[in-house]
Amino acid sequence: MRAELTSVREVQLPEREISLRHPRVPTLFQLQGKEGGRVFLSVFLSFCLSFCPCLSCVVCSSPQVSVLIPECAVLPATVAGLMDSFGPYYRVRDLPVYKLLEENFLENVLKRGNFYALSYKTRIDEDNTVAFLPTGQLILSVDKDTYERLGLEGKPSQYNHRQVMRYVVTVDVTEKSMAPGSKRYQRVLASLTERVPMKCDFLFSRHKNAAAAAEDGALKALLSQFKYDTHKPILKTHTLKDMLHPSLKSSDLRGDGPLFSPHHFLEWLGAVNLDITCSDPVDSFLSIYNCPEPHTPMSQGMLCTLTGLLLPEDLHSLLQELRNYFDEPKFSSWLAMTVHGFVDSPVAWGTTEHGFLKGGENFYTIVVLNNQDYWLHMATGSHDGCPP
Amino acid sequence: MRRADATEEPAAFERRVYRNAAAHHYMKIGLVLESGERNIGAVQFKQLIVSAVRDLYGEVGGAFNFDVLCYDESALTAVLRVYNSGLVKLWSALTLLGSYKNKLCAVRVMQVSPFLLALSGNSRELDLD
Repeated sequence: MRAELTSVREVQLPEREISLRHPRVPTLFQLQGKEGGRVFLSVFLSFCLSFCPCLSCVVCSSPQVSVLIPECAVLPATVAGLMDSFGPYYRVRDLPVYKLLEENFLENVLKRGNFYALSYKTRIDEDNTVAFLPTGQLILSVDKDTYERLGLEGKPSQYNHRQVMRYVVTVDVTEKSMAPGSKRYQRVLASLTERVPMKCDFLFSRHKNAAAAAEDGALKALLSQFKYDTHKPILKTHTLKDMLHPSLKSSDLRGDGPLFSPHHFLEWLGAVNLDITCSDPVDSFLSIYNCPEPHTPMSQGMLCTLTGLLLPEDLHSLLQELRNYFDEPKFSSWLAMTVHGFVDSPVAWGTTEHGFLKGGENFYTIVVLNNQDYWLHMATGSHDGCPP
Repeated sequence: MRRADATEEPAAFERRVYRNAAAHHYMKIGLVLESGERNIGAVQFKQLIVSAVRDLYGEVGGAFNFDVLCYDESALTAVLRVYNSGLVKLWSALTLLGSYKNKLCAVRVMQVSPFLLALSGNSRELDLD
């Protein structure tokens, strides 16, 4: 069941199983790639291009990324520098949603395609949630009452149970009909100002490389009207000492996969992130958790976690930098990067609808091996679409 | 389920889908005591849950294993691991747990997931205040 690469150009994402488009149960997707960085990159880019401009495919932005590098004492300076350069984000309080659609902001910020917004402290399973994607879509996930008062065209949420209690309204600001002054534009604005003056806290971020004076000006002008704080992503590093880690070699990926299952691997990674130690072999009353076999001892390791509103462009450059880590010979044969998505985001994995049900988890872990092979795990909850 | 590209070439990767395949569920819980007491050790904490399960389901029904993966004594929070088959029983026993040493208490279930990793990056815990 394995195939070798012959041409990079012909690499395609596999077609999705129709029945799996909405798995309805927690699902783990595993992708293992062979033969080097070029393939890796092309798969990676095809994610980026075809599903919202991010691999982070989570809502286009993530609350947390964590990187684990075994056998590493100090975070490489280039990686640390890159993490430090991640752009700031804003938390705006009580912002009426229609403010996003005002002409100046719409023309100068939204239509440039670098802007991300997500309502903050709104729960997708009980509140109205709003997100703005850099592709130009404003997505409102609202309950039935709000939807009926709003008077905008939307679709019933896919994750309704028997009765339709939630609707999703998508407004594409790049459409001609949404040009300021047009009938539709007036209607949307009227809905959001008069019929339902929706207001919530927002997280804003903008990709910094695309700095344009007009864009900056319009964003500042909007922010200055409201109470807002600027935040930098918070970096936490943790040095791991004397522990076991699963041994993973690229040859494992070429055969029938590693000896341990991806669930065991992710469990171990989760345990490391939560600072859980393997159980005491003598007294196992509390827990019988153990590191998956085969494992090897690791004298030290580096775990760093970055928390905040992180943009896919930044995560992409971080991944590129991590791949360069193996340019020089290292003791470890792999490293792992985990990106979590917002559990309350109305979309995930591009633009597929996202719900909560039990946990709303959506994250991916990419394991980079020293020969640039990779092992990608994408995990979804029950109310989630099929990742790309 | 498992899939690979049908032809041997030019596929460069293989995609496998594990649908509902996790053996365990993980729960992040917190114990709230009316008295505000904090000195409960990890072993006592597990014993409290074990006895809650036994009280509700009896010796036979309550005879399933779960793990206390980590326990924070100062905040009285813990991460539990339980086989899927025991999740409902454990959860219901935690919900109905109402007293510790004859004092009122409650267990708050903060997060439940089939992925332990999801517990380490919960965006609902992103606190900017």
